[in-house]
Amino acid sequence: MPRIVPPAIAIVDLMLCDACGLCLPLCPPAAIRLRREGLFVDADVCTGCRKCIDPCPVGALHMIPNESLGIPLLVSTIEA
Amino acid sequence: MTTVRCDLLVVGGGPGGLVAAREAAGAKPSLEVLLIERDRAIGAPVRCGEGVGSAGVGEFIDPTNAPWVARRITRVIFWAPDGTEVRVAEGDVGFVLDRTRFEPALAAQAGTAGAEIRVGTEATALRRDGDRWMVATRGPWGDVDVSARVVIAADGVEGMVGRWAGLDTRVPSRDMESCAQYLVTGIDFDPDAIYLHFGDTIAPGGYAWLFPKGVGVANVGLGIVALKGDKRPARAYLDDYIGAKFPRATKAGYTVGGVIVHTTIKRTVTDGLLVCGDAAHMVNPLSGGGIVNAMKAGRLAARTAADAIEAGDTSAARLQRYHDAWMAMLGDDHLRFYRLKEALGKFDDGFYNDLARTVNRIPQEKRSLRRIFGAALIHHPTLLPVVAKYFL
Repeated sequence: MPRIVPPAIAIVDLMLCDACGLCLPLCPPAAIRLRREGLFVDADVCTGCRKCIDPCPVGALHMIPNESLGIPLLVSTIEA
Repeated sequence: MTTVRCDLLVVGGGPGGLVAAREAAGAKPSLEVLLIERDRAIGAPVRCGEGVGSAGVGEFIDPTNAPWVARRITRVIFWAPDGTEVRVAEGDVGFVLDRTRFEPALAAQAGTAGAEIRVGTEATALRRDGDRWMVATRGPWGDVDVSARVVIAADGVEGMVGRWAGLDTRVPSRDMESCAQYLVTGIDFDPDAIYLHFGDTIAPGGYAWLFPKGVGVANVGLGIVALKGDKRPARAYLDDYIGAKFPRATKAGYTVGGVIVHTTIKRTVTDGLLVCGDAAHMVNPLSGGGIVNAMKAGRLAARTAADAIEAGDTSAARLQRYHDAWMAMLGDDHLRFYRLKEALGKFDDGFYNDLARTVNRIPQEKRSLRRIFGAALIHHPTLLPVVAKYFL
């Protein structure tokens, strides 16, 4: 099924995340997964709605431009 | 892939799940009951203020000399936004629990009743398999498929089992309290009292609490509704609060989490599956308390499930009895509490400061809820529509 690619999506800062799971029921498409290893956002499912961002009690969720998940960011990270 | 078969699978080893496992195994000894818990230990990590009413918890487990009682509480102290102190209750108010001991005590009872408990084991998916559920689990014994006739989803705020089964357990942002709490030592307070502090700058949409765990040791936390705040996370509000209120406090630990201050989800059952406790939004939306509610729901769910399994009919139509019984017991009350919460949230700090002074004019020994209500209505007629909403 075709999916509109959102301009920005949520990512988790695992240094801050306490894996409390508060964000899971807030996420309309169930893009957030909680496993024993920690929390992650499925980039292919996130719609960029931001509903998880402000309620995070430790500010561990951020929006990141979608294109920066691609090769250019990885390259620039390596170069830096 | 290993497959395990059981009659009843309980997902989640909190108060709701443990009571469900205990009641189901106890009701029908022939019933095979398995409970799985994601965390490595039942009862830890604690994500909770740990306060409960005494009557409610005693219905399930005897608190006499119990090691899981951290502190007996005989007083409730409200702080108005400007710090005005109002003492309202004297008597047997409740307990502050030690949940690292409370849940293991319930787990021991579940085990004695015949339930099997597997810790460190998480549910990762589920699918319908004829008239059973096949639940994929992952844990220290590897990947195990559990085939169960009935599933009780007691998987908490973060629970996804109900959603995987097609139930709507999503939460609107305005009904999510973002909470942070420190275990604080080295502060002065009345160790027999719980403190509740309200105020739009302290905890917008929620309140701050101090629940004693001993003399000079307390859970100090707060909950906010992020939509009503200034975009700072709950922990930043709490750091500010403790810095201002208890500048000499030592923070000996912290926890964060969500409390769903909503009303019970519209459908708590589907074929072969019941959702209970926080996962079904069974928290009191006014207080944010959910421990006893989860246990009550767990007991109802277990009895309904055990009867349904014995009768050979685990359809949603049969399990609906659980939903109806819950709504009659507490669910309908929560609808009223929710309306009351909404209405009370419309008043500003100045109103609550005035209200505190009104209540303080009543002698403390005469400060019954009825009198407070009466005095409040006479002095603050703007409360009338709120009261009307509560009773309608």
